Amino acid sequence: MRPIENFEYPPDLQKDFEKAKKLEWITVFYLLSAIVVMYLTMGNSQAMKTAWFEDLLSLTPSVSFLISARIFSRKPNEEFPYGYHRVVSIAYLCSSLALFAVGGFLLLDSGMTIVEQDRPTIGMITLFGHSFWLGYLMIGALIYGSVPAVFLGRMKLPLAERLHEKNLYTDAEMNKADWMTGLAAIVGIIGIGFGLWWADSAAAALISLDILHDGYKNLKQAVVDLMNQEPKTVNNQETDPLIKLVREHLSRKTWIRDVQVRLREEGHIYMGEAFVVPAEDLNLTQHIEEAAQEIKNINWRLHEVVITPVKELPEPD
Amino acid sequence: MKIKVLFLLGIWLFAGCENYPKDPDKTLEKVRHGTLVVGYAENPPWVIKTATEPGGIEAQLIKEFAAGLGARIQWQNDTEQDLFERLEKKELHLVIAGLTDKNAWKSKISFTKPYLQKEKDKHVMAVQKGENAFVLELEKFLKNQEEKLKKTTAP
Repeated sequence: MRPIENFEYPPDLQKDFEKAKKLEWITVFYLLSAIVVMYLTMGNSQAMKTAWFEDLLSLTPSVSFLISARIFSRKPNEEFPYGYHRVVSIAYLCSSLALFAVGGFLLLDSGMTIVEQDRPTIGMITLFGHSFWLGYLMIGALIYGSVPAVFLGRMKLPLAERLHEKNLYTDAEMNKADWMTGLAAIVGIIGIGFGLWWADSAAAALISLDILHDGYKNLKQAVVDLMNQEPKTVNNQETDPLIKLVREHLSRKTWIRDVQVRLREEGHIYMGEAFVVPAEDLNLTQHIEEAAQEIKNINWRLHEVVITPVKELPEPD
Repeated sequence: MKIKVLFLLGIWLFAGCENYPKDPDKTLEKVRHGTLVVGYAENPPWVIKTATEPGGIEAQLIKEFAAGLGARIQWQNDTEQDLFERLEKKELHLVIAGLTDKNAWKSKISFTKPYLQKEKDKHVMAVQKGENAFVLELEKFLKNQEEKLKKTTAP
């Protein structure tokens, strides 16, 4: 049996990959520190609790990226002839499901605090001998928990596009949008200070809606990925033009009369089949081997396209 | 950058405000130069019932707190359970009963930060939920009494 070839990023992308891993490690440590700081200052604020959950959850894409980065490049073997690439999609499914579920829970939770008119009590804190309202400290913690994330997100976004890494892309987008969460929670706390007890829960509801929306978007993507939807680009979810390129490349061959291509995504890479109707049988095996190699050379993402000769192709619908 | 500056400016503005944070139900405003309604349940040496107004460590603290606000106190004696229920209905501003932070009644009322630790017991008072200006005023007052309290309650 012939397992698929081992995968490594092409040399020019390996630097990007290393940089992405470094940024994700920084993200993990930064988020952990933000989670601790926010937990210590959270008090009774529903908005802050919600923002805290979001920070906690936004660990999942970075952690699953780092874990899958260790696994996906393992050599295919007898047991896993297609290699370990799907691990990326599974990690993606897990992180988006977590987002979706917790978003829903938090929306209910903050809705309940409004209905029950549960008023947040925020009292005094003593820090370095000064006693002041805890709300100020909460605002400080929220700024720490959101501003650096925006810069990390901006740095990761272009890497995710080049590496065709959806997990990283989700992560970068979430980081980039983190300032909105932070701002909403800050507005909520400032509102509490003005005696508007509901401002806090309203901000919390808004944040949880955002988490729910992120979760839904990504969950949908993760599910269709695992269902072998045709490959889509990372940044705008359009059909990858590479599919057309493969078809056109094969159509230009004189020994091919007709061709149909189907591809699927396995994490970063594409695999699939090209069904060709040969115009002549002479040197067919050699032609096929050559064409397969040429397709591989079009783009690193076209990891393995199996060319199968057939007598005729079904009519396209 | 602009956003950061705006944030800092905003925070500085609020910090400069005398009346920030505010109470949703204006408790502090009403109590200042008005009446502080205090519920108490006996629990010596914290609250001691007498023929007239209550004594004990906490009652004494509240008398000083009220004096600082220029408020007169209306004392209301009841069981702890009933006091909490009345606090929930906002019929009282404050409950003292030698409470500790272990108190399980946490749903519709709030407790102050512990103002004193005796062995394992962290002592607190009960207040209405979300009246943050009032809570902050009380907690700041209690914080200032910390040193004095440690001395007077030392064995």
